Formats: sequence, structure tokens, C-alpha cells
Amino acid sequence: MANKSVWSDNRFWQRSATWVTGFASVLLIWLTFDTSVQIAMGNDEDLKNGVTKRVPGPTVINYKITYEMDAKRGHEVPVIGEKENFFGRDDWSEEEAGALLHLGKLGSQAKNCMDCHTLLGNGAYYAPDLTKAWLDPAWGPNGAMQALTAKETKEEAMAEFLQHPDRYPTHARMMPDLGITAKEAKGLVAFLKHMSSIDTNGFPRNFGHMQGAINGK
Amino acid sequence: MFEAFTDVVPSFFGWLNQGPLTLTIFLHTVIILPMIWIYFQEKKRLENEN
Repeated sequence: MANKSVWSDNRFWQRSATWVTGFASVLLIWLTFDTSVQIAMGNDEDLKNGVTKRVPGPTVINYKITYEMDAKRGHEVPVIGEKENFFGRDDWSEEEAGALLHLGKLGSQAKNCMDCHTLLGNGAYYAPDLTKAWLDPAWGPNGAMQALTAKETKEEAMAEFLQHPDRYPTHARMMPDLGITAKEAKGLVAFLKHMSSIDTNGFPRNFGHMQGAINGK
Repeated sequence: MFEAFTDVVPSFFGWLNQGPLTLTIFLHTVIILPMIWIYFQEKKRLENEN
């Protein structure tokens, strides 16, 4: 009788499948816990002590956020700087900031931002990615948006735009009026500011080099 | 082969992902190597049965 090939032997495939399935299961469970640590939100203490977290605590809205090239990592990273007023205050407590972010998150879900935009890469590709919208120079002191909305600060300009996007035709694909209230707009801006402080390993790629990413100039 | 660790939060997989020794290459290696071992074990068993 001719030797039976290992390739046609059931036991080889059974053992291989058991090994691959078992190893993959262990790996996925391990990766889940590994990711939990990576994406765990920091707190106010971390910010005060300058501990870098991938996702900073909600009180990051009290600080100035910039986007700077990290030569070692080869891409831009959000850098949390000195204190900065957010809607006239730089002393938002952890509870207040957390509540504001929560309102913004619920607002972004209720108004379905992802129907047009992407948040952290998730959503639709009709309108610009909002991951780093807070860092878009168009909203900065030299950008067009503060003058256009007749507001003095970035957060007020953003809040005004969100409440009346139909009044400011900034994009060929105009944002519709979604009936966002002043309170909701404040939450949404806080949500966007916090999101811009998340270290996304340089995503979206080359955002820092886009002059006025929202205006596409 | 090994480059300086630059991730924000240190982790085993983060370390593994630095440079050309990627996670993909590592995982394929550790999954395929035991299959080669299983192959030769089964081959030996079949030969002994004959």
C-alpha cells in the first residue's frame, strides 16, 4: 500500500486548525486588554503633572493644543501646552468638563455628524474629517472663520457656525442647519477640542500641512 | 531590525510593531512554525502505521 500523504490526512488539518484557532483566540483576548490600556482616558492629575496619555482627560479643554511634528515618530502629534480660556474660563473642573464632553458626544450622535463627516476616521466621506478640526488654521486667529462669524475666539466662532451653518457658505457642500442649540454647540466644540488632543498616530495623515483643511485651500 | 520605541503608551505589541519586524511577520512566523512541527509529527505517525 502506498504511503498516505500528510496533506490528505485529517489529523494534520485538525491539529493545525486547533492550533491556529486557539492561538488566535488567546491573541485577540490579549490584544483587547492591551488596547484597553492604550485607549484608557487620562485624568486631571495627568494633565497637571504632564503625563502624556493617548486620550487625555476631559479637562484638556482648559489647555492650548497645538499640532507639532515629532521627528522621532515621523508624524505630527497633538501637544498640550499652557492654560487657555475655553468659553471665557480655564478652570473647568473634571465633572464640568466631563459633562460638557458627554453632552457633545450625545449631540454628535443625535445630530448624526457621521452621516456626512468622519470622526476618528469613522463615518461618511461627504464632509471633512473632524478628528483634528479644532487644529484647523481656518478657525485660528489668522483664519477666515473668526472674522466671518464676527467672533473673537475659536470656540465661539465654531459654536456660532454650528448653530447657523447655513449662514456661512464655506464649502461647496454646505452644511445644513441642524437646529443645534447654543448649549449643544458648546458641548460639540468641547467634544471637538478634546478629540483633537487624542494621539491618533498622525491620523489624518498630513493634516498639519493642509492650509485651512475645511476650506480646502 | 530593532528601532527605538516611540509609542506613547508602552506595550508588547507596540514594541513588536517598530521597524521592519512587523506584527504581521511575527504572527505568521509563530503560527506557521508549529504547523511545520505538526506536519512532521503526523508524517512520522503515518510512516509508523505502515
